[in-house]
Amino acid sequence: MTSMQPLLERYARIDFYDEFADEIGTPRSHYAGLAQTLRSIDLSDFQHRVETVNAVLLQRGVTFTVYADARGTERILPFDLIPRIVPSAEWALIKRGITQRVRALNAFLGDVYHAQRILHESIVPWQMVYSSKFFNREMIGLKVPRDVYIHVSGVDLIRGRDGTYYVLEDNLRTPSGISYVLENRDVLKRSFPRLFEHYQPRPVDDYPQRLRNALRHAAPQGNSEPTIVLLTPGIYNSAYFEHTMLARRMGVELVEGTDLIVRDNVVFMRTTRGLQRVDVIYRRIDDDFLDPLYFRSDSSLGVAGLMNAYRAGNVVLANAVGTGVADDKAVYPFVPAMIRFYLSEEPILPNVPTYDCTDPAQRQHVCSHLDELVVKNTNQSGGYGMLMGPSATRLDREKFKLAIEAAPRDFIAQPIIPLSCHPTIVGESIAPRHIDLRPFVLYGEDIDVPPAALTRVALQDGSLVVNSSQGGGSKDTWILEE
Amino acid sequence: MLSRVAESLYWMSRNIERAESLARIIDVAFNRTVDRNSAGRERAMRIWGSVLDLAGQPADAPEFSGPTLAIDAFAYGTFATENRSSVISCIRIARANALGVRAELTTEVWEAINSMYLFVEAQSPRAIAREGPSSFLRKMRDAAMAIGGVIDATITHDEEWNFLQVGRFLERAQMTSRVLKTHDAADDSAPEWQRLLEMNCASEPFARAQRLSSDPSEALAFLFLHRSFPRGVRFCTSEVDHALHRLSETAMGAFSNEAERVTGRLQAMLDFVQIREIIDEGPNSFATRVVERLDAVGLAVQSSYFPRVSAA
Repeated sequence: MTSMQPLLERYARIDFYDEFADEIGTPRSHYAGLAQTLRSIDLSDFQHRVETVNAVLLQRGVTFTVYADARGTERILPFDLIPRIVPSAEWALIKRGITQRVRALNAFLGDVYHAQRILHESIVPWQMVYSSKFFNREMIGLKVPRDVYIHVSGVDLIRGRDGTYYVLEDNLRTPSGISYVLENRDVLKRSFPRLFEHYQPRPVDDYPQRLRNALRHAAPQGNSEPTIVLLTPGIYNSAYFEHTMLARRMGVELVEGTDLIVRDNVVFMRTTRGLQRVDVIYRRIDDDFLDPLYFRSDSSLGVAGLMNAYRAGNVVLANAVGTGVADDKAVYPFVPAMIRFYLSEEPILPNVPTYDCTDPAQRQHVCSHLDELVVKNTNQSGGYGMLMGPSATRLDREKFKLAIEAAPRDFIAQPIIPLSCHPTIVGESIAPRHIDLRPFVLYGEDIDVPPAALTRVALQDGSLVVNSSQGGGSKDTWILEE
Repeated sequence: MLSRVAESLYWMSRNIERAESLARIIDVAFNRTVDRNSAGRERAMRIWGSVLDLAGQPADAPEFSGPTLAIDAFAYGTFATENRSSVISCIRIARANALGVRAELTTEVWEAINSMYLFVEAQSPRAIAREGPSSFLRKMRDAAMAIGGVIDATITHDEEWNFLQVGRFLERAQMTSRVLKTHDAADDSAPEWQRLLEMNCASEPFARAQRLSSDPSEALAFLFLHRSFPRGVRFCTSEVDHALHRLSETAMGAFSNEAERVTGRLQAMLDFVQIREIIDEGPNSFATRVVERLDAVGLAVQSSYFPRVSAA
C-alpha cells in the first residue's frame, strides 16, 4: 500500500520516559531536526529504504546465528532506520560514569586475585566471590601486564521513568555488538546523507584502531610491536561476522584454536612458512573453552597448553581469565561499594536496585512478589534463563520460586525498570519501542571510551527484552559533538 | 599466513572454478542433447554419462534414460545436493570456505561470493527446468567469472592470491583434461570435436587460431598444448607452476618441495610432447595420464602447504 500520510502523526506516546518527545509531545531540542525529516518523508519511500538496507546487510553477510534454531540459520539483525541521538552533555556523564565503573571493577579483580582486601574488610562477602562460577583459582597470585584485566567491556545502560541512566550489566567477558555499530553507521550515512550532515555525529570508524591500540598496550612493557591475533570459536559462533570484521579492520590474523600451538610455553600460529610467535590474543572465546587441559576437556575450540603459556607470562589474553567474577549478577549489587572502596568516590551512575536471594529476608520478599519483579539466572546471559514476573504464567513463576529456594546463589531479582522509549519503524507506522544503550570501554595505556555505542531495541510491542537472540533489533546511535 | 587460511583459499578458488566449468559443460551438453531424434538417444545418454562422470558423480547416481533425460540430468548436475559435484554443491563449498577466511578476503570478493550463493539458493529448480536452463547457467558462469575478476582486481598479488591462483588453474587444468578424457575414440565427426571445444570455451579462439583447418588433431593440440589459450592444459599447469614458485621464491626450473617437483615434471612433459605422440597413444589414454598427474599435484600441494600436524 502507498500511504502519503506523514509518518510521525501516528506516533503515540505511552507512559515511559520518551527519548524523542517531552510530556506534551514536543520533540526534545536535539530531536528537532530528525522530527522535521520524519515529517517530510512518506511511508512508501521509507519502506523502500528499509528493504534496500536489508538487502545490503544480507549481501554483506551482517548476520548472527540463532542457536535455538536447529538449522543454524543466519539472520540479519533487524536494523531500525531511525537513529537514536545522545546529546553531548549526556554522553559526558555516561563517559565519566562508565570510566569510573570499569576502573573500580578492574581494581576489584586485581584485589580478589591478590590481597583480597575487600573481602577481608567484609565489603564484599567471601562466599559471594568463592561461590562464583566465574571466579578462577588459576588466577590467584598471577600478575597481569599493567594490572589490566578488562581490556574490553560493554556496559549496558537503561533509563528509568525520569530519564536517569542506570547501569544494568557490566559485560566484562567477551561483549559483542560493535560490528553493528560500525555497519549501522555505514548504512545510515547512505540512507540519510542530509540529516547526517545536519547533525554531524561523532565518527565511529576509528574503533578498530583504538581497539588495536589498547591491545598493543596489553603486551608486556618493552614489546612495542607485539603480534596480535583475534581468537574466534569459528564460523558457527553467533558473533563470527563481528570477529572477521574486527580482525580485518585491525589488520590482525583471525585464528581458530586449531591454528595455534603451544611449544615450551610459547604460543605459535601455524603459517605456510612455519610457526610464528603470538604475543597478544584478543580472545572471543569464554574461559571454559580456552584450554582443554585446564578447563573443559571436551572443548575443541581452545588451545592445549594455553593456560601454561599465559601463567608463564609468554602471552597476554584480553580480556584476562577470570574477569567474569566481577560481572557475576550476584556480585553486581556490590559495585557501588567497590567504587567507594577503591576510588573514594561516589558512583556517578546508579545501579538498578537488586535483591540478593542468598539473604533469607530478601529471598522471602522476592518469592512473594514474583509477579512484579524480573528474576535473572546468574549463570546465564543474553536474555536466556530470565523470568519477567508480570507477563509470566503462574506455572513459570512457581517453577522459578522452587528453583530460587533450591539454589538461591543462582538468582537475583530486580524491580522492573520501564526502559525508555524511542520512535521505531513498526510495520507501516512509527511507534515507541523500548531501548537500551551499550557503550564500549577500552583499557590499554589508560581507559578510552570511543563515541561508539550500540542501541538495542525491543521490536515487539511492550517487550522490555532487547537481546538479539530474543527478537531485538538495533539502531544507529549518534553521539553529538560538544 | 595461516595454513588453514591458505587451504581454505585454495579450496574456495577450486570450487568457484569448478562451478563455472560445470555450468558451461552442462549448458553445452543440454543444448546438444535436448533436440535429439530417436536415433540420438544413445548418444545423448553417452554424453550425459560422461558429463556427470567428469563431475565425479557418486557410484549410486541415477542413470538418465527416460524421455526427459536432458532435463533430469541437468537438474541432477546443477541442483542435486546429494551430488557433491553439482553446481550448487560447489557454490556451497566455496561459500563455506570463504566464510572461514572472511577476515582475509576483501569485502568485494566476499560480497561477490555471497551474492552468488544467495542467488543460487533462491532459485526454484522446477521453474528453471520449465523455462530452459541456459539463461540460468549463463548467470552462474558470469557470476563465477566475475569473482575471478574481483579477486584479481582487489586482492594484493602476493601469498593469498598465489594460493588462489594454484587452486583456480589446477582445477581448470583438471576440467579441460577430464573433458578430453570423455572424447569418444570411435567418433571423429565434426560435431564431436565441436562439443569438446565448446565445453572448454574454445570454439571461437580455436577458429581464430586455425582459420580453415578441420583436422581433428589441430583441436587436440589446441586444447592440450597451446601456449597461451587460457583453458589449455599446458597454459594452466604453467600458471600453477609459476604461482608455486612465487610462493616459495624458488627459481623456475628448480624445486624446493614436492608440489613444485610434481608440477615441474608434468610441465616438462607438456612442453616437449608432440601431438603425433598423443594421437598414437590415444587422446583418452593421454588425458587419463594427465588427470592422474594433476591429482598428484593436488596431493603434493596439500602435503607441502597444509600438512596435518598433530598438537605438541
